[in-house]
Amino acid sequence: MRWGVLQFPGSCDERDALHACSLLGEARLVWHEERDLAGIDAVVVPGGFSYGDYLRAGAIARFSPAMEAVAELAADGGPVLGICNGFQVLCEAGLLPGALLLNEDLRFHCRQLDLLAEDGATLSIPAKHGEGRYYAPDDVLDELEANGQVAYRYAPGQNPNGSARDIAGVRNEAGNVVGLMPHPEHAVDPLTGSTDGLRVFKEIAAAGVPI
Amino acid sequence: MRVGRMVELEADDPERLGELCEKLLANPLIENYEIEPIDAA
Repeated sequence: MRWGVLQFPGSCDERDALHACSLLGEARLVWHEERDLAGIDAVVVPGGFSYGDYLRAGAIARFSPAMEAVAELAADGGPVLGICNGFQVLCEAGLLPGALLLNEDLRFHCRQLDLLAEDGATLSIPAKHGEGRYYAPDDVLDELEANGQVAYRYAPGQNPNGSARDIAGVRNEAGNVVGLMPHPEHAVDPLTGSTDGLRVFKEIAAAGVPI
Repeated sequence: MRVGRMVELEADDPERLGELCEKLLANPLIENYEIEPIDAA
């Protein structure tokens, strides 16, 4: 599988995402002005502060040429993974439901925590954000749960931001676009304490339609 | 509650300000907006 990792001005986790992807296949960075994703099978929208996030997290990045191409790839069934700021970008772009608000206690949090996958598996993955409180109206949350679109939840007592129903990550209806606030790309090497993040990359790779 | 922001801009077509708010300046899912015309000095 050939991975593309987007890079906006202000991205800061694209190198770790690139490393994670390179463990599973070929990978290259995609500058935000690139409109052509030919030869790329899957995309990671990484964390950071795209374009500075001055207006609102992800609000400007969603209009970038690269994101136009990502929307087309997603519509064709290509796998797309948004991490932290990338999750915010995907929500702003309408590729995922909901929005990310300031953390409930208005503080930036950075720590290792446990995520629960749908099959009950526990993943040890770091989170670091100030604007990660997942929000969607109750009827949308009900729908997400009914459709199996809640991809990851914070383990009981470990919700760092006040996210609705402990939601840490969601997927689109087709299942090929996933976003989450914690950082699986920082948990792919035993040196950093956990390799559980690789599972997240493998899952999104398997979710997409071969292009 | 989140404290919002005030944006002052000159618009060639004031009729499109609502669209601008909906698509860029505000996220209607989590934010409200008001448009207030300011007379040029």
